[in-house]
Amino acid sequence: MISVTSNGQAITEKKVFSRETAVSIDIQADKSIIWALLTNANDFPRWNSTIISIDGIIAANEKIKLKSKLDPKREFKLVVKELVPETKLVWGDAMGKRIYALKTIGPNLTNYYMSEKIGGPIFPLFAKMIPPFDQAFEQFAKDLKTEAEIISKTK
Amino acid sequence: MFKVLCTTILDKSYRQAFTFNIMTTEQFTNEFELARPQLKSYILRITASMEDSEDIVQDTYVKALIKLDTFRGDSSVKTWIFTIASNTAKDNLRAKKRWPETVTDICREKALANPGYFPEINSLMQNSAQTAFEIKEHITFCLTCISKSLPLEQQICILLKEIYDFKIAEIAEIMETTEAMAKYYLHTARSKMVEIYEGRCALINKNGACHQCSELNGIFNPKQDFEVEKKKIEFAKKANDPDREHLLDLRFKIMKEIDPFNSNGSNLQLFHLEHNKKIMENFEIKDE
Repeated sequence: MISVTSNGQAITEKKVFSRETAVSIDIQADKSIIWALLTNANDFPRWNSTIISIDGIIAANEKIKLKSKLDPKREFKLVVKELVPETKLVWGDAMGKRIYALKTIGPNLTNYYMSEKIGGPIFPLFAKMIPPFDQAFEQFAKDLKTEAEIISKTK
Repeated sequence: MFKVLCTTILDKSYRQAFTFNIMTTEQFTNEFELARPQLKSYILRITASMEDSEDIVQDTYVKALIKLDTFRGDSSVKTWIFTIASNTAKDNLRAKKRWPETVTDICREKALANPGYFPEINSLMQNSAQTAFEIKEHITFCLTCISKSLPLEQQICILLKEIYDFKIAEIAEIMETTEAMAKYYLHTARSKMVEIYEGRCALINKNGACHQCSELNGIFNPKQDFEVEKKKIEFAKKANDPDREHLLDLRFKIMKEIDPFNSNGSNLQLFHLEHNKKIMENFEIKDE
């Protein structure tokens, strides 16, 4: 995991055999609201402008199919590799893994962290074909913050 | 003897300290009867079944009476009763499928294909009271059907909040969840309902797929001018209001004002609801 300031701006670290992008942001909402947003697959397109669809159930060891606006023609077949309720979610495939982490940092205040590392021995061959994630990561974090804070303010 | 008396008194005090009754059976029954009409309509709206609503309300009364000595008064009696009823309804509905968003289209097609459907309605209208067709009651019926397309938790939250006036903390208690999750269910339910009505309801969107209000009004009230009637409906009048959440609130306001068991057309709407429930019980996605 690369360290990143919680200002909603993504950082990418490039190495020969891997690339890792991360973003972090503080959200004025309870962890459980953010967790619910991150784990309800079919609800994603409603609030997240970077996702076209997620099919499947986001639960440990489950397979999901994700379509992202970053590469709309491609369907990513992913496995939920780790799930610690309201704390950590990891999904990925042979090429890489996406980590979501939540941490309570104050009353009704949660730090959200997201990173994705892609790589492997043949990574240098196709590295240039993979679009940068920074903008999509920032948008993802922003959408999550907006939605979670709206829900949190419900009376 | 003195020792036995002391033990008995101490024992009684101990029991009273830990199992005190907040109210008598009679007091509880009075409170329950006050809440009964709301509880019954709530269960009807969750289950879409008259029989289930009768049964669940009765079960709730019995369960509550049995547990009366555990009621501490931490919440209101109404919240406590709704908690028991919601749990019973959830158990009853857990294995049942949720309804599709297009439920009214599907049931309309089935009704039109059934030669016995309208004769049955005619017979009902001739032989029963409370069978007038009113657009507002149909809007309420429609809202019940559409809300059954939401996940159960979301449907329960939205009804408790928008129709039965429970606060978020009370909804969390009834749902046995956190306030944060109750807010999530509520918000998601509202967003989905706005989206569904936007695509379906011709009263607010001229391209909406569903015209059942005008269609049924034409059948049951042929002399009425639908356009005139439509103007009496607040959310239809404000169809161009960009605040779609507000239109949804106006829809809920109509539902709130109608007792589905005791309105001008309650028997007609209950007949429709029972019909839709039967269709949905046998409905498979491939039928669509």
